[in-house]
Amino acid sequence: MVRFQMWLVTVFASVKPMARLMHTAWGWPLAESLHFIGLSLLVGTVGLFDLRLLGLGRRIPIAAMHRLIPWGLAGFGINAVSGIAFLLAEPDQYVYNPSFHVKVLFIAAAGLNALTFYLTTYRTVTVNGAPVAAPPAAKAMAAVSLSLWIGVIIAGRLLTFYRPFPCQPPEPGFLATCIPGFHANRK
Amino acid sequence: MDPVFRWIESSALSVWTRESTSLIAYPAILSAHAIGMALAAGVNAAIALRMLGAAFEIPAVEMRRYAGVAWIGFAINAASGMLLLIAYPTKALTNPMFYLKLSLIAVGLALFVAVNRRLDQWTSTTQTWIGIALLTSWGGAIVAGRLLAYTYRRLMAG
Repeated sequence: MVRFQMWLVTVFASVKPMARLMHTAWGWPLAESLHFIGLSLLVGTVGLFDLRLLGLGRRIPIAAMHRLIPWGLAGFGINAVSGIAFLLAEPDQYVYNPSFHVKVLFIAAAGLNALTFYLTTYRTVTVNGAPVAAPPAAKAMAAVSLSLWIGVIIAGRLLTFYRPFPCQPPEPGFLATCIPGFHANRK
Repeated sequence: MDPVFRWIESSALSVWTRESTSLIAYPAILSAHAIGMALAAGVNAAIALRMLGAAFEIPAVEMRRYAGVAWIGFAINAASGMLLLIAYPTKALTNPMFYLKLSLIAVGLALFVAVNRRLDQWTSTTQTWIGIALLTSWGGAIVAGRLLAYTYRRLMAG
């Protein structure tokens, strides 16, 4: 895993133009601003849809509420692009950061949860004449979705507090949460 | 203003917020501020998008049901923002960007209150313009907030 992380850092660091762009006076602040706008858009649409499944705003048909989801996907797209920009500009600050590991895990889990929703109860809650209340399974997935996205925000905010520093001996174990520096390369 | 800044900076709450290594100090306050932002700005964005014609299947006035979520987000951010201000009063209050952020939030809030009270009395043209203004003010507040970290000239008075 440590080797994989080191390989990732090398690959990301090889994309030089993005790093150069991000390190201009406006690069980082602009990408940060977009990242926060994207997250608001995601939570404001996907989060409200989750709340509707949980029973808030029952007079709105679930299918109608679902029309907001493409805007949430747009927010996610903004954040994927700006997030990748951060990653390419400072790869070792993310690849070895435990908070980033948690963040990626939560995003993946939120994706799987959404996929499960679309493969199972999506049809029954959005079909013409669907009941006002969502079934318990859909409510459970909505609660999981809300919790995971809040978790993603927290893990994202905590990134700066878990900044990795160059590794001290002994070598990192399975997953490096420090930057494997010179003595790792010397072997 | 420096004596006032120094007085705030030396208070126990300010010192704790700024210097505690506990995760429930600065990291938790920052996280809460981001979550509150997502709720307040996010719900406002959803309401604005509906006013601009997105997801038109949703009865526009029914979006009011979610106003409470935006208020919860706003309350979280008023509280967490106050703590961040107490931690670094000089940093925020000597930066013009901070006043721009507060002004944009004031405009956004006023529009949000107006939408909740009068949306059903507005023509579609009025709705479009208010929707654009709502998106601009909350989006602008986010950008101004982010830029605070890059534009401050003084960190502390003491």
